[in-house]
Amino acid sequence: MNDDEKFFAWLDGELDPAEAAEMQARVAADPKLTELAEQHRAFGGRLKGAFDSVAEAPVPEHLTAALRPRGQVIDFASAKRARSMPPLAQWAAMAATLAVGVFIGTRVPEGTPVEVQGGKLYAAAALNEALDTELASAPTGDVRIALTYRNQAGEICRSFTAPAGSGVACRNGGRWQMKGLFAAPEGQGSDYRMAAGMDPNLAALIDSTMTGAPFDEAAEKAAREKGWR
Amino acid sequence: MDQPQSFETQLAALLPRLRRFAHALSRDAADADDLTQASIERALRSKAQWEAGTRLDSWCYRIMRNLWIDTARARSRKNAREAPEEEGFDVGDDPRPGIEAAVDLQRVMAAMERLPDEQREVVALILVEGFGYREVAEMLGLPIGTVSSRLVRGRTALLAMVGES
Repeated sequence: MNDDEKFFAWLDGELDPAEAAEMQARVAADPKLTELAEQHRAFGGRLKGAFDSVAEAPVPEHLTAALRPRGQVIDFASAKRARSMPPLAQWAAMAATLAVGVFIGTRVPEGTPVEVQGGKLYAAAALNEALDTELASAPTGDVRIALTYRNQAGEICRSFTAPAGSGVACRNGGRWQMKGLFAAPEGQGSDYRMAAGMDPNLAALIDSTMTGAPFDEAAEKAAREKGWR
Repeated sequence: MDQPQSFETQLAALLPRLRRFAHALSRDAADADDLTQASIERALRSKAQWEAGTRLDSWCYRIMRNLWIDTARARSRKNAREAPEEEGFDVGDDPRPGIEAAVDLQRVMAAMERLPDEQREVVALILVEGFGYREVAEMLGLPIGTVSSRLVRGRTALLAMVGES
């Protein structure tokens, strides 16, 4: 490795501690190198920032289309349950009209597992209960928790799937605030379909907000005991 | 966590990152999304070759990079024919402070486009995608010293083009 390469390897955190300390000292003693380091750090941040705007933007529909689960086996038992559960059907209808994270209007049909308060949408009823109590590792009932993780704001978030759709909610002010809600794809009888795979839009939303690794079973249990704080 | 996710689901979760990588390799957004689309299709077709438990992201990046290399040859022949001279060296001349992210993206993409392919891919994987030198060396099948020297040349040329604005 020549000096140039060593300098940049140092800048990228690729040197071992002894070599890094040596390079650090050389840079500190040399105003030209100090300036070069600053220029490249700033440029690196700018380059990353420019391209990050792509990763943060929603993925165009035509790219996610090929990855949407389709042709799944219909689970008639759960389909029957879904039929006997008008709240979830109503919720599906509502979810179908919602854009990700944008909730317009405050009229939510009674009995839906979501409710509006102060212009924000929160989990209610069976959904709220599932988010409060269920573990991803031990699914029961119609609402299944898929992932528990912390978002960039430090809130605990849980993604879920239900016969009518899927979504993610984050713990905010002692409640589960809905961050995204996706109806099961149209044309497949949304009430009849257990979401076997995660909606790609939901997966993308989670991927863009998750920090660290998803909680394992022990972490989930501990978080539940602490009231998801 | 014992929640096996489908291949498609994991791939969908990678899409924002793969699109970012595609933009770093391609000359414009349309080409980038074409490359992303082709990579998704290739990944789905090659699904059986991916070993569960290994990193899906590196595997997908490799697919995208190889597709890009394949099209790059055709592209460079086409560019040599068309040679749009008026494009010139105006990258980096924009005097306005606080440039919008979208404009900045166009500018860095234009600058990246001017790098030789072998420097561009290394810059994209390390400075944009955040992989380590060793990971990139393994992904591209190159000695780590080659990765390191290409990165130095690429980032130095880029800084000179885009400037410090």
